[in-house]
Amino acid sequence: MFDTSRLTRFLPPRMQSQIDAYFEAFEVLLSVKDPKVLGALGPSGVRGLLLHRGKQGTPTDMPAAHTAHFNWSYPSDQPEMADLYRRAKVGQWNGDDLPWNTSVDPLDPERPLIPEEFLSFEYIEELGIKLDKEERAELGYSMCAWMLSQFLHGEQGALFAAAQVTEAVQFFDGKLYGATQVMDEGRHVEVFNRYLDTKLNKLYQINDNLFVIIDSLMTDGRWDMKFLGMQIMVEGLALGAFSTLYKQTKEPLLKELLKMVIQDEARHVHYGVCALREHFTKHLTARERQEREDWAFEVALLMRNRFAAYEVYEEWFEGRMTRAEWRNVVYRSKGMEEFRTVMFSRLVPNLREIGLLSSRIMPRYEEVGLMRYFGGLAADKLTAETLLSDLD
Amino acid sequence: MELDKAQKQAEARKSGGPADLLPATIVVRLEALVRDVRTVLNDLTGVRPAPYAVRKPLARHLIAVTPSPTPSAGITPRRLRVTRVVRETPDAVSLSLTDPEGRRIAFVPGQFFTVLVTLASGDVLRRAYSISSVPDEDGAAAEVTITIKRMPGGRASNHLNDAITEGDILDVLGPSGSFTVTPDPAARRHLVLLAGGSGITPLASITRTTLAREPGARVTLVYGNRGERDIIFREALESLAEAHADRFTLRHVLSEPPAGFTGRTGLLDRDNVTRELDAIAASSGLDADATAYYVCGPEPMMAAAREALLARGVDPARIHEERFSAPARRTAPALPAASAPIEIRVRGRAKTVTAAPGQTLLEAGLAASLPMPFSCTMGGCGVCKVKLLSGNVTSEEPNCLNEEEKNQGFVLACVSRAAAPCAVEVP
Repeated sequence: MFDTSRLTRFLPPRMQSQIDAYFEAFEVLLSVKDPKVLGALGPSGVRGLLLHRGKQGTPTDMPAAHTAHFNWSYPSDQPEMADLYRRAKVGQWNGDDLPWNTSVDPLDPERPLIPEEFLSFEYIEELGIKLDKEERAELGYSMCAWMLSQFLHGEQGALFAAAQVTEAVQFFDGKLYGATQVMDEGRHVEVFNRYLDTKLNKLYQINDNLFVIIDSLMTDGRWDMKFLGMQIMVEGLALGAFSTLYKQTKEPLLKELLKMVIQDEARHVHYGVCALREHFTKHLTARERQEREDWAFEVALLMRNRFAAYEVYEEWFEGRMTRAEWRNVVYRSKGMEEFRTVMFSRLVPNLREIGLLSSRIMPRYEEVGLMRYFGGLAADKLTAETLLSDLD
Repeated sequence: MELDKAQKQAEARKSGGPADLLPATIVVRLEALVRDVRTVLNDLTGVRPAPYAVRKPLARHLIAVTPSPTPSAGITPRRLRVTRVVRETPDAVSLSLTDPEGRRIAFVPGQFFTVLVTLASGDVLRRAYSISSVPDEDGAAAEVTITIKRMPGGRASNHLNDAITEGDILDVLGPSGSFTVTPDPAARRHLVLLAGGSGITPLASITRTTLAREPGARVTLVYGNRGERDIIFREALESLAEAHADRFTLRHVLSEPPAGFTGRTGLLDRDNVTRELDAIAASSGLDADATAYYVCGPEPMMAAAREALLARGVDPARIHEERFSAPARRTAPALPAASAPIEIRVRGRAKTVTAAPGQTLLEAGLAASLPMPFSCTMGGCGVCKVKLLSGNVTSEEPNCLNEEEKNQGFVLACVSRAAAPCAVEVP
């Protein structure tokens, strides 16, 4: 990526960062090759990256353009979804039952929220910034609170998207299942919000890139795009992120919370695969399928490259290192590497399963190093137990 | 903060100004545009909002902290099986209870069980019913009997009178209560018992036990009822009076006496209680140093009895009273709407717990695993009394605390709720 700091170093640090941010945003939009995908992502990109609609300090209203699909004959149309619905009903749990009486000290070296090596401090030291033991713990606390804040914002998006998808989906068994997912997402909002408010006492603003993805799928009127965005991409991202944190945290309440959430997420991705596999492979024209294939690739890249915790950078390092340097630190850190591995090892097989990894797009995945995840199991073959035991 | 801002904007729109001239939808769009432009300008000048906000627990979370799966966290009832159902009068029934696992039940005459009555609607009511039976010599019994009189409109008492059959299981707490007479074979005392209506229940147990275990004791029972058919344990009491004619005097007072009734008529008001006491004093004497008074009945009768006794110069320490006020008839103070931190000191350590709105001090303490004593959980036994060190609580009244205890700052943890931060100590 272009290091803008060579041109802007005579400007104050905050302006330098801003110019880097603009360059990054333009780079994202310019990299989109399909004009239809650009049309779908572009306005969201402007609202998120340029206008920071999620950070204006006021609630955001996102207009919806989908159609609520009614069916007065209540067909039993999707046995696999009916089965998911049954499993979802018995899989409900109560957020109050988590061990909330656990006292959480975010700086406790015995039970760290994230391991010290999550952010690779040697890269920070290479830039001449020395952090003592206390500062390292504080930075780990910030990173963890940042991640959980993004989970919370993502779950809010998932809650509303799940509701929209329940309205728009054309399978009746899918609607019944969708109701349970709305409940699941509501519970996830509840527990992440409660953990942040009562245990970490900190809430970061929504990351602009996450805002772009949520905005894009909330405002897209096509039900299958919502499905693709929510059930495959965002849920895949969530599963990767939750799993990474679950594996790495030593804080018992957070571990238990994530374990319960991951069990729900496994169902959600499975539903997305069920619904889209048939639709994409049988009911779309080649052109429509290609557009979705490209959209998924762009969003995957957005997810791979852009979750650089800039909010933590602003809190800690603005003026001490450039935004580009921070980006490097984050991308090379062990925790983020782990996160990308888990996320794509779940996401790529799902894209293959729903028919969005044709030989046409494979070279582009190959180019960015994502093809090595091609052979994994898709969500319809994965149980929550496998998901969790892979992590233990 | 965001809400404040939005409200102010809405007010600004209402309160006149150029925006008034435009349709509301346009104003909303203009405001959004202003925000967008301001955001971009701030970006360019390097002014950005703080990346994070400091957060505190919200009401939503606090409420969720304490309601454990059941509202009575830490209060586990005992299950007893109904082995016999005896109809004492048209409006009173005796239920004999045993432990399904054969454990004997220890109690002192005069104590009561808190019965958790589950209605058909699923509501669980807690009511106190006294034990009317007699413990064995070792202070326990394989079977205990409670007697329940129907209250007009009483949901629990009517349910127990009508719906319970042999073999049913009752959930109970206790036995509880300090309105008791512990049998002492060497005692040479005179017990004067003043009973009104179903207030006979604990006094029946005391009468039977005292006559059986204390050969040197005398018992006089003054028992007020409306009519003859309302007299609970009538035959049992009469046969006791025959068997212990020298030591047991039974004096009925009826407000609607049948023809030929020779006892006193009218209500057990102050005058009638005084007349009864005069009569007892005249026939067998009332030795101030050997006589103890036990009073149980409806509230007006209890007040009258207390006045009459004090007017005769009886030492208040010799007057024992048992009050059963149905929770439904208690003053129910408005439940605190907010949760409050409560510092509870018990056994030399202090812990601060948060009570959810509506949760009692006892429930909050038990939910935090504090070893708080309790028995009846409904304000009737005084076991859970705690001293209020600071702050205020609201308590359901009346309860079994006497004036002296209240003046010393005691409150009952099971019927008190904190509306604001407070500190209590378990004595």
